[in-house]
Amino acid sequence: MGTHEPAFDVVGTRPLRPDGVEKVTGSAKFGADLTAPGMLVGKILRSSHAHARIRSIDTSKAEALPGVKAVITCKNFDKAKISPAKQNILCNIMAQEKALYDGHAVAAVAAISNQIARKALRLIEVDYEVLAHVTDVEEAMRPSAPVIQDDMFTVGVTPQPTQASNIAKRSEFGHGDVEKGFSQADVIIERQFKTAATHQGYIEPHACLANVTQDGQGELWCCTQGHFMVREVCAELIGMDISKLRVTASEIGGGFGGKTTVFIEPVALVLSREAGRPVKIVMSRDEVFRASGPTSSTSMRVKIGAKNDGIFTACEAELKYQGGAFADSPVQLGAMSAFACYNLENVKTVGYDVATNRPKNVAYRAPGAPMAAYAVESVVAEIADRLGIDQLELRLKNAAREGTKSSYGPVFKRMGLVETLQAAKVHDHYSAPLGPNQGRGVASGFWFNFGGQTCVSLNINVDGTIAIAVGTPDIGGSRASMCLMAAEELGIAYDNVRTIIADTSSLGYNDVTDGSRATFASGLAIINAARDAKAKLCARAAKTWDIPAEAVIWENGCAKPAGANAGNFAPLSLAEIAANAEKTGGPIAGHFEVNAGGAGVSFATHIVDAEVDRETGFVKILRYTVAQDAGKAVHPSYVEGQFQGGAVQGIGWAINEEYIYGEDGKLQNPGFLDYRIPVASDLPMIDTVIVEVPNPGHPYGVRGVGETSIVPPLAAISNAVSAAAGVRLTELPMSPPRVLKALEDSPDR
Amino acid sequence: MVQVMLWGSLTSFTEGRTALEIEAANIKELLERLEEHYPGLKPTLEKGVSVSIDGMIYNDAWFQPINPDSEVYLLPRLEGG
Amino acid sequence: MRFEAPTSVDAAIKLLEGEPGVVRILAGGTDVLVQLRYGQVEPDLMVDIKRIAAMRSIDEEDGGYRIGAAVSGIEIGAHAGLRKLWPGVVEAMELIGSTQIQGRATLVGNLCNASPAADSVPAMVAAEATCRIFGPNGHRDIPVHNLASAPGETTLGRAELVGSIYLPSRRPNSGDAYLRFIPRTEMDIAVVGTGVSLEMDLDGVCKNARVALGAVAARVLLVDEAASALIGSRVDAAALENLSHAAAAACSPIDDKRGTKEFRTKITGVLVRRTAQIALQRSQE
Repeated sequence: MGTHEPAFDVVGTRPLRPDGVEKVTGSAKFGADLTAPGMLVGKILRSSHAHARIRSIDTSKAEALPGVKAVITCKNFDKAKISPAKQNILCNIMAQEKALYDGHAVAAVAAISNQIARKALRLIEVDYEVLAHVTDVEEAMRPSAPVIQDDMFTVGVTPQPTQASNIAKRSEFGHGDVEKGFSQADVIIERQFKTAATHQGYIEPHACLANVTQDGQGELWCCTQGHFMVREVCAELIGMDISKLRVTASEIGGGFGGKTTVFIEPVALVLSREAGRPVKIVMSRDEVFRASGPTSSTSMRVKIGAKNDGIFTACEAELKYQGGAFADSPVQLGAMSAFACYNLENVKTVGYDVATNRPKNVAYRAPGAPMAAYAVESVVAEIADRLGIDQLELRLKNAAREGTKSSYGPVFKRMGLVETLQAAKVHDHYSAPLGPNQGRGVASGFWFNFGGQTCVSLNINVDGTIAIAVGTPDIGGSRASMCLMAAEELGIAYDNVRTIIADTSSLGYNDVTDGSRATFASGLAIINAARDAKAKLCARAAKTWDIPAEAVIWENGCAKPAGANAGNFAPLSLAEIAANAEKTGGPIAGHFEVNAGGAGVSFATHIVDAEVDRETGFVKILRYTVAQDAGKAVHPSYVEGQFQGGAVQGIGWAINEEYIYGEDGKLQNPGFLDYRIPVASDLPMIDTVIVEVPNPGHPYGVRGVGETSIVPPLAAISNAVSAAAGVRLTELPMSPPRVLKALEDSPDR
Repeated sequence: MVQVMLWGSLTSFTEGRTALEIEAANIKELLERLEEHYPGLKPTLEKGVSVSIDGMIYNDAWFQPINPDSEVYLLPRLEGG
Repeated sequence: MRFEAPTSVDAAIKLLEGEPGVVRILAGGTDVLVQLRYGQVEPDLMVDIKRIAAMRSIDEEDGGYRIGAAVSGIEIGAHAGLRKLWPGVVEAMELIGSTQIQGRATLVGNLCNASPAADSVPAMVAAEATCRIFGPNGHRDIPVHNLASAPGETTLGRAELVGSIYLPSRRPNSGDAYLRFIPRTEMDIAVVGTGVSLEMDLDGVCKNARVALGAVAARVLLVDEAASALIGSRVDAAALENLSHAAAAACSPIDDKRGTKEFRTKITGVLVRRTAQIALQRSQE
């Protein structure tokens, strides 16, 4: 390795999380858990048409119903004052001229009870002109398809079309000459794949409590991955100064990218402003499925050429992602990441972002990457089989390494793909025997990771304990990690540090908890805030000893003279300095603000065993192992939790989860009964191997770990099922009917 | 001068070129010059892009220095879940 | 909405008779409360039958068991006598919902919800169970199979309710079983459910059989042709093959989000064979 790897005292241990007791005893306060005096119930009327022009909305009967305190429609938002970047958000939270999907909000009420609110919704008369709709990505791309946004002219093609279509943009990435590469190949495999749209499946529905007072001040409590984002977006949508709106993030029952935007929050604020009372809105599960932000369904073509020795000569992919009514698909990220695991001379990916009459896409854990990896790693597996090369060996031969020019352009810095492949190879899972109708699959995956805007404060209490305030909601145990990093840096015990998620009025702006950034970026900021505090602590000690500040160092939780020349003073502990803070200059605190770069790329390799019931098409996941590079695992249990969680969501995506639309364009399965996320009995224990290849962009080497774990599963599971079935499966989910059909259509049967 | 690489779909605004030579010492200068020389890029730049400098990715970090021999890529704005 | 919790059957019937509007009976509430919460039903009167003592017990009767309408799945699963006598019915009941749901859900509720996919119903039909209906004119017993008339609809008259289920005594060398197919391993609704009850003679030949299918038609089907495929056979591979065909031929499922006609029909053939094999094994124990 050559470089010096820092040794840690506290980082890398597994203490209990600070939010643990509240969560397991049910006292933690989630989005729907807050109430306020005089609170009203807010409810939203949603379109049951997939695509319809709204001729008029008559709210008079609803307004006349006793107990109804406010009824609002798009007229209650000042569209003209909203910036172009937020127009689509406005249009999504409250339909303007058209309802664009089944579930699109068209009006909302606030009333004194659930029953009255529900009755009021039924009294709102919407005059719809029903329009032709389209929900499938391939159909939406046809010239004959109904056009959803009449100002959508495809970007990224020359010349730009003058006729509107559902294709928002075409993107292209890559380098080299793929035609030349394919001409050098001994074997070429090209396949077409499809995946269904999936939802993040967080257990907690969106919920918020809004209160706007008569003097125009607002308070909002909500479950979100980023309350600063909520504040800025809401303030603009409802025409309020940012300083007048305070947003507090509740505990969050899962987000996975789905809580990185607003849906009900601006509606609750406007209802509250109109009614002059607090308004609570809690989405039903049906509303979550129909009207929050699932990810894309896709149609993909992947072609890989290789020499007989397994070296890839060219890789090509064409990705078509359905991005909902506003074409927000993550296809660019899919196209950039598709071949990121490989060292390629010739690579080309083309992505199409396509609008359909479906809910507005929102991020879902490594947005866009799992589907692309599914298609790519399926073809890689076929190449290995065709050439008779071991699956991991083929990947190792072609693996991207430090210095490789990535498929999306930049040259990789220090990274851990090869290490994850090697960890998989030596794991006893990889060589364990398989029974009849069982198969093993492997796949690798990549995610960029992200840093972003971060602002933290670290206050030293008079008893020597530490109060940390961060602005990134804790969605995976990050508070524990923050405490660990502060304790490490200050040389004190973990139990002496407490981290909270501060509201928007208590800290500067923080980006949303996404892009696997919280432990990386807030952690980096905490370390620097602790260093800031240490400098101040040393200065107080220096004053006390009457020696220059530079002559004091911090060691093992104490200020000490730097050496014999500095003077002979007994070390002053953090607690001792804190106790005298009032006398030595007042409170002591560390701060740090940054727009963090340097998030290290992340790679993982998964191994899966699956069994297929050849008579029913039922797939059982028998064994699962995740090997992923964490850079440095700050709290290994929560790193493992992220690895396991990604694998589990991947299992759901691969096997049963799908948005099913009827001919009428309505969602057929808006609930957990028929949108099948895995239940505990569907799952084996997910084994984990934490690989640690330090990220040069973080003081402790930390890489984000939250997202990469969902990139390989779709492919790894499909490779396992295909091996067990003896047929290559090319469509997700691999639900029993689809697997049975593939078995029946197989020529070997 | 630094060489900045664009992704494929932007070449329709840069006379087909994927590699551009730009006089810039930091991200702010880079983005300003790009917009100046290639006005067609404006909507994309306004929507937000990420900039990779020597393999490290930055969003909106205006004063991040760029060395003449730095590897610079303009990338679609990175998002996460 | 008025909520009443009478302590006798008579009082319950009187309440039902006196209400001209929409009435719902509350036992476990695992269907009714969900419907209420989603605004699918807005009853004028809800009658909770859990305070009626007779509805809370499992009683031996003529070598069989009578199970009160408010007895939960957990209580059924914990009853050693029931488990021994009709393991197929017990396992069908136990498939419904999670542990929490099992603490509330009832056999009679599953029956009266009148879903063609109800798990316990094919098992009860195969077991030749009857249900006792109370009403303004006293009580009557009918086969469980005749209670549901269409999805969500029953043959119950005005002010009638089901008070209990009777599972008869079992003949020697007989066994029953229930299997369902779901895309997950639990917490799901049957794509297909198959209940089989059979009786063998001392020579290993099937004397009697009942085969019931769920989720493949508007009501649970009792398929005589499928039973005939077993009766007189040794329940060998050939008989099981005939059983599969007969059961599949009886299916008239719908295409929906839970499965296509084609898939449901195929799975019925597979599942009924596997169910019969378990019932056969139990008949030999």
